[in-house]
Amino acid sequence: MSNEEKKVLLSIQNLDVVFGRGKKAFKAVDNVSFDIYKGETLSLVGESGSGKTTIGRAIMRINPCSAGAIYYDGKKISGKISKQEDRDVIRKIQMIFQDPAASLNERATIEYIISEGLYNFHLYKDEKDRIAKIEKIVEDVGLLPEHLTRYPHEFSGGQRQRVGMARSIVMEPEFIVADEPISALDVSIRAQVLNLLKKFQVEKGLTYLFIAHDLSIVRFISDRIVVIYKGRVMEIAEAEELFAYPLHPYTKSLISAIPVPDPIIEKKKKLFVYDPAKFHDYSKEQPQLVDIGNGHMVFGNTEEIERYKKIRNGEGA
Amino acid sequence: MSEKNPAVNQDELFRFIDSDTISSEKIVAPRYSYWASVFRVFFRKKLNIVVLVILALILLISFVGPLIFPYDMMENVTNASTYNLSPAAAMSRFGGFSLKWLLGTGPMGNSIFYGVISSSRTSILLAVICAAINMTIGILVGALWGYSRSVDQVMLVVYNIIANVPYILLISVLVYIIGSGFWSFIFALTITGWLGIAYFFRTQVMIIRDREYSLASRCLGTPVTRVISKNILPFLTSVIVTLLATELPSYIGMEVFLSYIGVGLSASIPSLGRMIQQAQSAFMTYPWEFWPPVIVASAITIILYLLGQSLADASDPRTHM
Repeated sequence: MSNEEKKVLLSIQNLDVVFGRGKKAFKAVDNVSFDIYKGETLSLVGESGSGKTTIGRAIMRINPCSAGAIYYDGKKISGKISKQEDRDVIRKIQMIFQDPAASLNERATIEYIISEGLYNFHLYKDEKDRIAKIEKIVEDVGLLPEHLTRYPHEFSGGQRQRVGMARSIVMEPEFIVADEPISALDVSIRAQVLNLLKKFQVEKGLTYLFIAHDLSIVRFISDRIVVIYKGRVMEIAEAEELFAYPLHPYTKSLISAIPVPDPIIEKKKKLFVYDPAKFHDYSKEQPQLVDIGNGHMVFGNTEEIERYKKIRNGEGA
Repeated sequence: MSEKNPAVNQDELFRFIDSDTISSEKIVAPRYSYWASVFRVFFRKKLNIVVLVILALILLISFVGPLIFPYDMMENVTNASTYNLSPAAAMSRFGGFSLKWLLGTGPMGNSIFYGVISSSRTSILLAVICAAINMTIGILVGALWGYSRSVDQVMLVVYNIIANVPYILLISVLVYIIGSGFWSFIFALTITGWLGIAYFFRTQVMIIRDREYSLASRCLGTPVTRVISKNILPFLTSVIVTLLATELPSYIGMEVFLSYIGVGLSASIPSLGRMIQQAQSAFMTYPWEFWPPVIVASAITIILYLLGQSLADASDPRTHM
């Protein structure tokens, strides 16, 4: 896919999210901008508390934006929008939650949980059509129609996450924010859920914003990766590009933290620790996010960017 | 190997039977019904059945009783020789044994036995109506109050103003203004009575409002009313039942207390509180006038409380295991 063919589906521009007021104010997201193209999977990685989930929730409009704007399909969706547009956006953008135990209503049957969105938007012709739709989606996510009358506590973690996926996908959205959908799951069932996400992407042409902190999984699932640290974007690149040429020291430290499935190598491995004070001198010039070619953007000042360009083009470190 | 040993009977050995995961999924879990489980847990205790039977008897006597034993507190008012008769004296005065004079006569020659039956009907009716009105308004307002931040700001001001007016004072003033009939008494008890329930409920709703499944419902575009009815209220069923268990008897106590201090129901309506008030000055000389209404009022309160507590326990899903 060349750059011209790509259509921007969701665009985040200079987004700030601030919690609290006055002296207690905490800037969780600081001047973040990136685009998500139609049909791709964009991953948002960073350590705990870096603002990944906050960005995802800003897109879902759970957290209000303090500055900047979010555009979906060219239309602004942050701030105040008309009721009709609001409903439209709710239907098109869906979310898969991190903790499948907490995100399902314990006192509702699986049937109600999956039908909830259908009821809200009346996306069915009659009762029969609704039942047919939920039975179809339940089978698509690998559950049985017999499960519909049960309650969430009767299911395993993996099954609950399938229910969570079913309730989003039955709405036929275009864009899904997947907020660490596998981090609460057992390692053995992570692959099943990831495969399911991939399957729906191919079948329904979905676009994903995949929020994760585990780079090894991100490499497998994503087209492009955004690395964030303390609410700022550090690096944006295509997945293979990022793993081949990690330029920002924070990205390097994240990649060095991926466990190696060999105890001898793992034991000898030297962890690369990121310490902003050690790596950057921003006393003369403030850093910016700069495009250095090959669809690769890095956060740094002029001097750093020159160094990064040299490394990228193989002119020695 | 055992297969080669002819001494082993092959039919007696364990054999591997293939498991069919799909059909086991279909049969493994029985349907869980919340209310069926509540009643299963409730009826597991023998005491609850006893309490329920006693309550049924009280209800039957106090609601069907007045039809069989019509109470007229003024029937002997013109005849002073019938006043304050002990059970034995009343029976000899009115010609032999009868249920009507089982507990003697009151200060106006009225039948204490019939009076207690009619009075307990008034008290139970009053408690049920007041509890129903206050709980309904309290829960609905409280749910909205806890859910919406803007409603919260307004309601907190309203609450702070009204809750600081002494409840008893407010009721006595209202009863003086609008009269002391049955319905105006209910009006006085319910005009601000729901506010405390709503405030209690607001806190409960706030605790579960921001749970992740409610967030998920927001992402699915679920309207507020359905978030409240499907995501919040089902989690508060046991809280509601517990509240009912304390509210219901408290209105009976309230009526008795208010009538006792003289601001309750008017004298023409038979009520337990009024009977106690009339008899209290002479309860050493005419004990048959004083103790029956006191015992009945306490019994109804205790039975309702016991029943409510057991129901509240049973409605907690953690006891359903």
